[in-house]
Amino acid sequence: MLRQIGMMTLFLIGITPHHRSDAQETKRREPLHEEVLTIIKDSCVSCHSGEKAEGGLDLDAFQTTEDAAQEPQVWWKVLKNIHAGTMPPEGEPRLSAEQKQKVGYWVKSHVFGLDRENLDPGNSVVRRLNRVEYGNTLSDLMGIRFDSTVLFPPDDSGHGFDNLGDALTFSPLLLEKYLLAARQVVDQSVPTVSKIIPRMEFSGRDFERTKGDSRGNVLDGKMEHHVEKSVTMEEPGEYVVHVDVKLHGSFDFDPARYRVEFAIDNEMRSDEEYGWDENKLVSKRFQENWKEGEHRLSFRLTPVSTEKGEAKEAANQDGTHVRFEIASIIVEGPLETNKRVHPRNYERFFTRDEPPASIEEKRLYAAEVLRRFANRAYRYPVDSVTVDRMVQVAEEHYRQPNVTFESGIAQAMVCILASPRFLFRMESSALPNTTQSNGTTPRFGMVDEWTLASRLSYFIWSTMPDDELFQLAQEGRLRAQLPQQVKRMMRDPRSQQFVGNFVGQWLRTRDVTQTSIDPIVVLGFQKEYDELREQFRGRFRRRGQGDFISPEDEKQRTRFRELRDIADRFNADLKRAIRRETEMCFEYIVREDQSLLDLIDCNYTFLNERLAQHYSIPGVRGDEMRRVELPPDSPRGGVLTHASMLLVTSNPTRTSPVKRGLYILDNLLGTPAPPAPGPVPELEDSAEKFGGREPSLRELLSVHRESPLCASCHSRMDPLGLALENFNALGMWRDEEKGNPIDPSGKLITGETFSDLKGLKTLLRKDHSSDFYRCITQKLLTFAIGRGLEFTDEQTIDLIVEKVQEDDGKFSALLQGIVESAPFQKRRFATTSLTHKE
Amino acid sequence: MKNANQVADGYRIRRRKLLKAGGVAVALPLLSSLSRKETEAGWVSEEVGTTSTGAPLRMAFMSIPNGVQQDHWFPTEDFQLNESMKPLEKLKEHFQVIGGLDHINATAGPDGAGDHARASATFLTGMRARKTAGSDIHVGVSVDQVAAQSMKNRTRLPSLELTSDVVRNSGSCDSGYACAYQYNLAWSSPSTPVTPESNPRQVFERLFGAGAPQERAENFAKRQASDRSVLDFVLEESRTVQRDLGSQDKRKFDEYFSVVRDFEKRLKSAEEFREPPQTAADTPSGIPHDFAEYMSLMYDMLLLAFQTDSTRIGTLLLAYDGSNRIFPQLGVPEGHHYLTHNQRVPELAKKVAKIDEYYLSSFASFLDKMSKIEDIDGHSLLHNSMIIYGGAIADGNRHTHENLPVILAGNGGGSIKSGRFVRADKQPMSNLFVSMLNRFGVHVDQFGDSNGSLDEVV
Repeated sequence: MLRQIGMMTLFLIGITPHHRSDAQETKRREPLHEEVLTIIKDSCVSCHSGEKAEGGLDLDAFQTTEDAAQEPQVWWKVLKNIHAGTMPPEGEPRLSAEQKQKVGYWVKSHVFGLDRENLDPGNSVVRRLNRVEYGNTLSDLMGIRFDSTVLFPPDDSGHGFDNLGDALTFSPLLLEKYLLAARQVVDQSVPTVSKIIPRMEFSGRDFERTKGDSRGNVLDGKMEHHVEKSVTMEEPGEYVVHVDVKLHGSFDFDPARYRVEFAIDNEMRSDEEYGWDENKLVSKRFQENWKEGEHRLSFRLTPVSTEKGEAKEAANQDGTHVRFEIASIIVEGPLETNKRVHPRNYERFFTRDEPPASIEEKRLYAAEVLRRFANRAYRYPVDSVTVDRMVQVAEEHYRQPNVTFESGIAQAMVCILASPRFLFRMESSALPNTTQSNGTTPRFGMVDEWTLASRLSYFIWSTMPDDELFQLAQEGRLRAQLPQQVKRMMRDPRSQQFVGNFVGQWLRTRDVTQTSIDPIVVLGFQKEYDELREQFRGRFRRRGQGDFISPEDEKQRTRFRELRDIADRFNADLKRAIRRETEMCFEYIVREDQSLLDLIDCNYTFLNERLAQHYSIPGVRGDEMRRVELPPDSPRGGVLTHASMLLVTSNPTRTSPVKRGLYILDNLLGTPAPPAPGPVPELEDSAEKFGGREPSLRELLSVHRESPLCASCHSRMDPLGLALENFNALGMWRDEEKGNPIDPSGKLITGETFSDLKGLKTLLRKDHSSDFYRCITQKLLTFAIGRGLEFTDEQTIDLIVEKVQEDDGKFSALLQGIVESAPFQKRRFATTSLTHKE
Repeated sequence: MKNANQVADGYRIRRRKLLKAGGVAVALPLLSSLSRKETEAGWVSEEVGTTSTGAPLRMAFMSIPNGVQQDHWFPTEDFQLNESMKPLEKLKEHFQVIGGLDHINATAGPDGAGDHARASATFLTGMRARKTAGSDIHVGVSVDQVAAQSMKNRTRLPSLELTSDVVRNSGSCDSGYACAYQYNLAWSSPSTPVTPESNPRQVFERLFGAGAPQERAENFAKRQASDRSVLDFVLEESRTVQRDLGSQDKRKFDEYFSVVRDFEKRLKSAEEFREPPQTAADTPSGIPHDFAEYMSLMYDMLLLAFQTDSTRIGTLLLAYDGSNRIFPQLGVPEGHHYLTHNQRVPELAKKVAKIDEYYLSSFASFLDKMSKIEDIDGHSLLHNSMIIYGGAIADGNRHTHENLPVILAGNGGGSIKSGRFVRADKQPMSNLFVSMLNRFGVHVDQFGDSNGSLDEVV
């Protein structure tokens, strides 16, 4: 029902711009206002005016453009709703594309004051490296593998990502950890002497397996293994072989024992029995007189059989284990050599063969070494004052008796790694030295090349820039070579980080491994399983050794094992495949430059045998994930049908159409549900409503939507989620749920109807592509610039979306758009304070 | 060689039960040396964090997720314990249950959905969290941090923040709230959460040093010496950086800089402590698979910290609010959060009550140990403590924030009663915090949304 239009005559007419450029003023006098006014009058005011204005939005409050400019946040919401098509609501006449564009243009240029030709990059905030970036940066800088997830707690995320400057807070615990890690990493990677006896170092990973199939360098103590490694010596002489092994066990004790024989050139050197232990280190040292040529080191691991076979089985059931790790093998020699060599990593940090002798020379060399290191560590050229400070630290150290020059340098490096200039991403832009033609000082400018190098590398690689980027920045040629560099960076294996970190969070594939869905319950076997388990347990306990097992017992036992196998199929390997499916689809689109719309609907996916079986798709063999063309009648294809999405949005025992719907709105369509209204009324009678019969989820949810209060959100989420009900909580296909046939049909908040998931996918791909482009642009921009988006970014987003649309949704258009955007290329100057009311 | 089975049997008792009740496995604390220090410094019992006998007074807060099944949780007026509280039966004299406390700032108000994040942020701050997905996080200083900031480094650590929940969901957190609200209990400023540690091994090494028992003291000292030598450089660098930053960045950087400066002060005052604290307990190897063991290990870390007077203030986030953890060991395959929205289905409500009991039994064994360890004044550790257990959601089904589940254990060194159920009808939870702070020696009239104190009740 339309109410009288009141008060609106003055609306938008009295335009008295201030502090605007002439160009903008001209724009303001364009006849557009009249048109925009008419659109708003016709389509919005009937509900959004007066004291009882819908949603608390009273448009009467805006009598002039200035009034509107005072409340950008309100107009930002208006813009979002118009974009998403949620306003005007269903049943009212829709806005045409042209009308939307006109309103959008007016809001952006006049209310937000955005200048299309010279876009404001928005606020940016100094960002701490997050746990992942910190670990990668340390690893690249120091030439070791540093796993930051062991020592550091996960970072709090904001706006969906864990690299947001504002959300990356700092605390005493973190400071202590940074100090500790700096020390540990330097100890581990920076040599403290110039020359050592030649040595070879390797771990279990370098051994060849002649028997057994354990991954990496850790061997399962309950299986037989035989591994060996050959080393070739150029000189004959005395050699020392240092062998460090570690004994591991599950948290709970496991009684299993195993025997480990170690041989050199097939001669037994050690023969020990080990068992469960807690990360215990066993070190041995063997001196060998070797001829030149090949020598062979080998381990043979044999489980020690226990008499109680059942005890062993029970131990297996509890998921306990014993493991043997070949942690480190060092072959040192020949001992009497006069050909001493640099220790590992020496050339990474030091430029001369040996440090000079004189104090003065040493100081100069220390400055050279530390400057070289700090430039990389800080991702920015350091000034001489800072270098002097570093040299002082080193000097104080190496001047002490019995302390090497290298140790002094190492001490300074600990300091550098603990510095805020390493831990934070310091950015800068060339300061304005000129005033603009109209006499005002510019508020923002292009970031300098070093900053640009870091922005690129942390965006695409989640780590520091490499030598090439540094080199280009040094020469001032990076910006000029941007497209080529972005291409190169995407081809580099480090871009795998981008997939894992961006897709991992955007589409939540990171969560797959930690979901705990109970397959027995989801597949409806719980009752049978529980009964069998009880029976089986009781009988198992009472039964003595060698008792007769009846055929009935045997049958039940077989069935029990069958059910357990079904549950076991949903294991870590399958979850890994599930995670990879989504990541690989994205990678494929990126690398082959396909349309991003393939994420919504396409006729291929990535599977291995395990996952294909999970999806009931025949003809895929082996562990390797590969691209598979889907049969025409397959419901799969697109993220909505990926087990990753279906899992992470499910509860442990059942699906949640609400969460699935919300996922689609949040991550694909970019139409977040409006905030839930006040206290949520309890659905007291929902249980009785169905006369004791267990209602289907659709029926239950329909109760939600009977109340207008609930409906405002649920009518957006539920239809989307219910369309996916043909997939259970594990992401497997089903035709019915608890005996009720599944009805996947529904209607979108924007009015379109669909009869099933295929219909929904077609609808989304065809009619909502711009929503999707917009959504992924917002996500990627947030991830790239490390802050939540503001109304000042609206124009930036529009420009990128336009580009993507023109280029048929190609990923390269999106990536280029982001990298060339104002927030990525520019920065507000240091003196600029907040200009907009927030 | 030793018989394999013999060795095995020696381990058969579940290992890594780090502390046994009565302190069997724990070396006597260093309290004697600390009390000497206190006397030297001339501290008297009026000091912050000290009981009337001069013993350390401790304060701890444990948070549980998703409210409780109220009709199975709250005791009767005459303190007959309800089903979920059965594990606490033998410890009745050591705690009280306080009914009728509210956290109005945890209610939806104008902010809409996101009750779990909001409640979690309000729990120890009494304040309303600003609804933001991350750009301008703001709530309030938490009660433990108010106390910690008043302790002025009189203990090695001003406070200890722990969690036994490592599950993190990617993407957005609860309905438009930044994740910081959900995963942190302690706030040192309205915009700065204090990160909790989830790895018991790291906590242990932070308290006592790394390595085998005989190496720990040396390693501890080494780490401190290293930190000290590096910190001067870091401070210099921070000053340089701060000069060059713009206002927006400066605000963010100040957060870092103040942590660095506080740490410098802490290291300085640590020099006054003669030796690092020692314990004979084993270094935990990492995060246990079993959740009960995990919680128990984190409780033990807190207990060790209290016992050695490494700190007097602690928080332990048992599981983040909204947690959908499963409890197959209780025959509960459904997720906790899902179950709390049980629409009053009795079987499901029972399961929630079972989960509540599970959390409480872990708490009970912590209290039991605390009650059996003797403090320097002859009282038990528990007697000389104020321990809050609860959450900022009352009924997980409807997400109410009135009549919150709250247990106050310990006697605050003799100033607090126990062994009863009291009602503080319709008072802000913050009133309780005001009373606790005052008993701790931090004199405040107001905290969070308090409108008085709970002095008459407690």
